[in-house]
Amino acid sequence: MTAAAPPRSWARLGLGLAALAAVACARDVPRAPAGVLVVSQEQQASWIRNFNPLTTATSARWPTLAGIYEPLFVFNSVRSEYVPWLAVTHEWTAGNLVLRLTTRDSVLWSDGRPFDARDVAFTFDLLKRHPALDRRGVWGFLSAVSAVDERTVDFRFQRVYIPGFDEIAAQQIVPRHVWSTVADPVAFANENPVATGPFTEIRVFQNQVYELGRNPHYWRAGEPHFDAIRCPAYPSNDRANLALVFDEADWAGNFIPAVDRVFVGRNPAHHRYWFPLTGSSIFLYANTTRAPFDDSRVRKALSMAIDRALLVDVALHRYSRPADATGLSDAYTAWRDSGIAAAGDWVLHDPARAGKLLDEAGLPRGKDGLRHLPDGKPLRYEVLSVAGWSDWVRAAQVIARGLQEIGVDASVRTYDFSAWFQRVQEGNFDLTLGWSFEGPTPYPFYRWLMSSATVNPVGVASMGNWHRYGSPEADRALASFEREPDPAKQRALCNEMQRVFVAEAPAIPLYPNPSWAEYNTSRFDGFPSEARAYADPSPNKFDRGECLLVLTTLVPR
Amino acid sequence: MRYILERLGFYAFAAWAALTLNFFLPRLMPGDPATALFARFRGRLAPEAMQALRETFGLTDAPLLVQYFTYLGHVLRGDFGISVAYFPSPVSQVIGTGLIWTIFLAGTALIVSFAIGTLLGIVAAWQRRGWLDTWLPSTLVFLGAFPYFWLAMLALYVLGFTLRWFPLGHAYGDDLTPGFNFEFIADVVRHAVLPIGTVVLATLGGWLLSMRNTMIAVLGSDYVNLARAKGLSPSRVMLRYAARNALLPSVTGFGMALGFVLGGSLLTEIVFSYPGQGYLLVQAVRNQDYPLMQGIFLVITLAVLGANWLVDLALLWLDPRTRESS
Repeated sequence: MTAAAPPRSWARLGLGLAALAAVACARDVPRAPAGVLVVSQEQQASWIRNFNPLTTATSARWPTLAGIYEPLFVFNSVRSEYVPWLAVTHEWTAGNLVLRLTTRDSVLWSDGRPFDARDVAFTFDLLKRHPALDRRGVWGFLSAVSAVDERTVDFRFQRVYIPGFDEIAAQQIVPRHVWSTVADPVAFANENPVATGPFTEIRVFQNQVYELGRNPHYWRAGEPHFDAIRCPAYPSNDRANLALVFDEADWAGNFIPAVDRVFVGRNPAHHRYWFPLTGSSIFLYANTTRAPFDDSRVRKALSMAIDRALLVDVALHRYSRPADATGLSDAYTAWRDSGIAAAGDWVLHDPARAGKLLDEAGLPRGKDGLRHLPDGKPLRYEVLSVAGWSDWVRAAQVIARGLQEIGVDASVRTYDFSAWFQRVQEGNFDLTLGWSFEGPTPYPFYRWLMSSATVNPVGVASMGNWHRYGSPEADRALASFEREPDPAKQRALCNEMQRVFVAEAPAIPLYPNPSWAEYNTSRFDGFPSEARAYADPSPNKFDRGECLLVLTTLVPR
Repeated sequence: MRYILERLGFYAFAAWAALTLNFFLPRLMPGDPATALFARFRGRLAPEAMQALRETFGLTDAPLLVQYFTYLGHVLRGDFGISVAYFPSPVSQVIGTGLIWTIFLAGTALIVSFAIGTLLGIVAAWQRRGWLDTWLPSTLVFLGAFPYFWLAMLALYVLGFTLRWFPLGHAYGDDLTPGFNFEFIADVVRHAVLPIGTVVLATLGGWLLSMRNTMIAVLGSDYVNLARAKGLSPSRVMLRYAARNALLPSVTGFGMALGFVLGGSLLTEIVFSYPGQGYLLVQAVRNQDYPLMQGIFLVITLAVLGANWLVDLALLWLDPRTRESS
């Protein structure tokens, strides 16, 4: 600090800094060029270049699964239907043991080489050779996949398993001529993808932003209608929301509190959102290996104690509705039987009836106001939730208050995520909040709620069916569903599952999660909305290719 | 010389202890990376994926001690393994994306804050009970007492959101390609004003106070009085006699702070979506990404040790007494 620089160089430095500061303070209007769709889906501080569509680690960038690569069929969850994509038709043959797919003609890879059935067979063969890539577990039911000719692929099954179609249909297909030379496809970052999707050319890849240009050989003539997708890295939900409010992002799938005021209010003409209730249903799980939760009357009584209207208000800003007794979200509107749902009156808030049911179940109220087990122990339970998941914590508080009213001494207990999940998986809990599983049909949903096949003993980590409930009646319906290709009969079997669920109350449905989707119509037109419900509006619905429906529909203004 | 060797030995031991803790602490957490990843999907990933996930990460059941020695061997060869959260990128590459920005952001903020704070502290002590001394320390300590998060959000809201003087985040504009040209550098500076400014504002008070207080003590000592009596110029007395000695505790503090720079200013980086290292650490913990955690902690540890080493050397130079004793 004693080394003094000559005065003149100090002046020069000062001048330079002043000039820099002047430029630096210039007003900022960040806007992407026309025809570039700015999407915020993943929350990261900086991007890692990975476009591997097969890796289960799901660390590939967002457009990889629905934008760069494409599945055989796209599942439209709003309409509950399959849209032919890289495959055009499917047919069950050989006593439903062989699924025959016809692939689309005249599809080119982004490097100009033709796509054909052998690419499909190759992709599935890759999954067989590298179990780490078999995210949907297709080789648990397949025995062989072969290309019959350039446009036909046969999938031979080990046993009749109709829901297997859903897993095959969703598989992204990779080019044989590129991937056959990849030594380790599991650890392959695929930095320059060759694919069939609408956006395949990586124009920019920097730590805080990347941009994908359109596929010069895209098979859907004239589509996509715009030049590029740009993904800026935002590390948090708040920051992504700010980008939406400031017209920096055109499309996002975040939770925004008070969306009408915060987002729409700033620019009602162009700031839009649509939160269809097609997400996973949230449940209160009671550990059915522990008394008295093994008694369906007790589970129903707990359910009646919950004021779901209040819960949805408090926990979810009214973005959802109280669940009905089938537990099915709006993703299964085509499957839900409203008569059966209405018969399940145990989801209605009715503390008096809940009390009566508990009396019947042999859990009378004591002098202390609490109900007691036959051995005299009071009903004192913790409702588990995850620390920091504010929606769940508030929901748990509403539940605990409801249970206290009917004489159950319930309190909320939050755990750090990993600690919570370990307890839940091992069945080490009384009551906990939890999610449920999604799929194109209610089959996986109900399978993980009440199939005996998914019950693990307490202490053994279980990926689903944490409440450990198996119903022989449900097993029969699920088993028949696995062998039933006829849609009408599938519906009847699904009604049977709903009937069993409503009768036995294996778990206590709370509310269906919304599918978050916000968009800005000042630069792009054609986003799905309630009035134009052609697909799920959320960029988060990439796993079964649904985002492709949106990306190929959007038009720049 | 013996002093330097002794210190080196101590650092080697500290590094080994840190490496060991690095290995065992994350493994005491419940759960494993595959489950953490699976659960992140909250129902969108079918349970069937678990098997594939375990295959991917090659989760091993080898005894912990065997894993520990394998780990030590790999670290010595500079191989931190493959990140789980950012599979299949190697840890070194993942850390590389954020490191430079963290060093720039937190390093600049620290140097600016230290330089300004110390200078102000010198001046405040020199003109004790002057207006600067009366107002500045209390104001800055007041500002520093606010939760940093709040201060940063306020700055972002007022200067970025409402007035739109500064960008809302990122290290540079999305339309720019990094390169050594005036446009890019100006943009980086513009993006850095708010994050660095808020950090400086929040930490300035500490440097100022520490310098001012030591300086006041030093100003009362005999050799300063002697220097004055000899008729040396005030600036010479202030800087070469008083400040040089008063600087010692501050330099130690600076060294410590320098080491922690690499930990990333987590809150700063999150509020201003700065592509630095702090967020990586959060991701690593959230995903139980042991290799990434170990990598980041190792980098932080080495930085702290390295900074301490530099402080030792600086003290040797600043304080003749340490030279004497060694």
